[in-house]
Amino acid sequence: MAKEFNPVVVTANDLVEGDSVFLGAFGWVRDIAAARVALSEGEAKVLETAGNEGENGNLVVGPYLIEVSVTNGQPVPVLRREQIRASGLPTMPFGLDVPVERRAA
Amino acid sequence: MYRYDEFDHRFVNERVAEFRDQVERRLTGALNEAEFKPLRLMNGLYLQLHAYMLRVAVPYGTLDSRQMRMLAHIAETWDKGYGHFTTRQNIQFNWPRLKDVPDILEALASVEMHAIQTSGNCIRNITSDPYSGVAPEEIEDPRITAEMLRQWSSLHPEFTYLGRKFKFAVTGSEHDRAAIKVHDIGIQIIRNEAGEVGYRVLVGGGLGRTPMIGKELRAFLPKADLLPYVEAALRVYNLHGRRDNKYKARIKILVHETGIDEFRAQVEHEFATMDRAAVTAPEGEMERIAAYFAPPELATKPPAPVEFERMQKLDPDFAQWVERNTYAHRVPGYAAATISLKPIGGAPGDATAEQMRVMADLAETYSVDAMRVTHEQNIVLPHVAIGDLYKLYRGLASIGLDMPNKGLVTDIIACPGLDYCALATARSIPVAQAISNRFADNKRQREIGPLSIKISGCINACGHHHIGHIGILGLDKAGVESYQITLGGESTEDARLGDRTGPGFGYDEVPGVVEKIIDTYLDLREGQRETFFQTYRRVGMEPFKEALYATAD
Repeated sequence: MAKEFNPVVVTANDLVEGDSVFLGAFGWVRDIAAARVALSEGEAKVLETAGNEGENGNLVVGPYLIEVSVTNGQPVPVLRREQIRASGLPTMPFGLDVPVERRAA
Repeated sequence: MYRYDEFDHRFVNERVAEFRDQVERRLTGALNEAEFKPLRLMNGLYLQLHAYMLRVAVPYGTLDSRQMRMLAHIAETWDKGYGHFTTRQNIQFNWPRLKDVPDILEALASVEMHAIQTSGNCIRNITSDPYSGVAPEEIEDPRITAEMLRQWSSLHPEFTYLGRKFKFAVTGSEHDRAAIKVHDIGIQIIRNEAGEVGYRVLVGGGLGRTPMIGKELRAFLPKADLLPYVEAALRVYNLHGRRDNKYKARIKILVHETGIDEFRAQVEHEFATMDRAAVTAPEGEMERIAAYFAPPELATKPPAPVEFERMQKLDPDFAQWVERNTYAHRVPGYAAATISLKPIGGAPGDATAEQMRVMADLAETYSVDAMRVTHEQNIVLPHVAIGDLYKLYRGLASIGLDMPNKGLVTDIIACPGLDYCALATARSIPVAQAISNRFADNKRQREIGPLSIKISGCINACGHHHIGHIGILGLDKAGVESYQITLGGESTEDARLGDRTGPGFGYDEVPGVVEKIIDTYLDLREGQRETFFQTYRRVGMEPFKEALYATAD
């Protein structure tokens, strides 16, 4: 029996901003919910090629495919690393969002 | 501190202009990523999980208030309002945009700073003792040697493309606060039997996936021979170090595989036959550099002013801060004060622009305008009159940086981990925060006593986990974060690598695991003065293993 294909999306970093982007229906998007999902090897190849075109066109850096699960029509990365990347932020409050609880009155 | 001469200014400004041109060409597509990547790395610019990251060099951790204010300005203008001080005494900005980086570098150059050689397979920022020029037991300020090495290694034509990165650390005291035994080359300033000052040179230490303690290369090296000798060592490494496998390319692997005696013989042969005069610093150069590090003129003051004693009685929190966060100064009436960047539940090493500005103001007012970044991710104000300590302390309290926890369980070192780093396999900062929250009670921290927890989010060990009394290494096990624990590591002159407890633990389990380890120590220690490290060395791993892995009947 053929190995079941896990859905994938293509991701990269934006050349100028450096943040995580995903290839959507009409270009690179920041919200993984708008990413194109490949459901077969053939579709994955198409996505990979489109990702490389994004790098060759100097829009993005380092495109690669990531596995996703599709829940209620929304792609969600399988790996923790990619979940954190897709969120666009660290998992804890950072920088100016950190409360300075010990600040003197 | 060292000030740029005309050559330094011109060199750094030319480098900024060059990188501005390279960025423009990248943005227009004239350079592709494969061509641009090595260029940006040479200027300290990485591409991380969520954004570019710029690593700015702080040579041997020394900063003045003008520079700290510029770091605050950069954080506010081109980043998200904060920066992250690292275990290499540098600072990293986590969110710059590519098009802004040339402007950031220009701003840095205006205060004699840059990001050159903070990445790549070259000689990196040279680290040193944060109490340089302060510690009473110090033989000589190690920053003079570090600056000499910095000048020698900057754009060194032979060593710009080494097999792998190369890290130096220098200490001027017998008590090692610069972790010299876990550096590619560690240098200790010593005095020989004839009373001459020179160097003890160690080689082949390092952490990462193959941690090793450095071995003695030369027991005593005359000061004048410093540059030719390290040049000889680098030549042997450059010639024989592996380039076929990046994981075996550090000098520690070469020294380990060659054997220290054979490696030493090769270095000594190179040293004996090379044109030493071509490498030796010109006469008077060491003295010229030393003049920049001349001790500030500090008027002798009373060691315990009445007001200082009174405020310690009135404000017990201040008394605790004095006990934990200050260090004796060679000049009576002064102390070095550590600003802990480890507030309870905070991200180790992070400081907001506001905090940077206040630290700069406090340094200018109370510390002869001097600051040091420590490899433990704190800031030291090196020259504070004891009579000013309370005012300093209150100033720190106004920005939430008055934690009296230096060297205690919440003074945790942590790398950025999977929240920022593209190489990471697990999160570090939230683990540090959870442990910090668990041990928030100050009384409990003091009862536990000196204890270092060091956390790395991958095998590359930027969080120095191997040399933590409790080391925590985050790994990925089939998509799930798993944390290996080591015990009994140490970073000082007694440096040793920690021993693994056994199988790893889940993300949520780590604070409880640390608590079990500490409770076991508290049960086993012989009196309150026996530290965690001493107890571990006395009783070994077994009782800790028992506590962590024994299953309930």
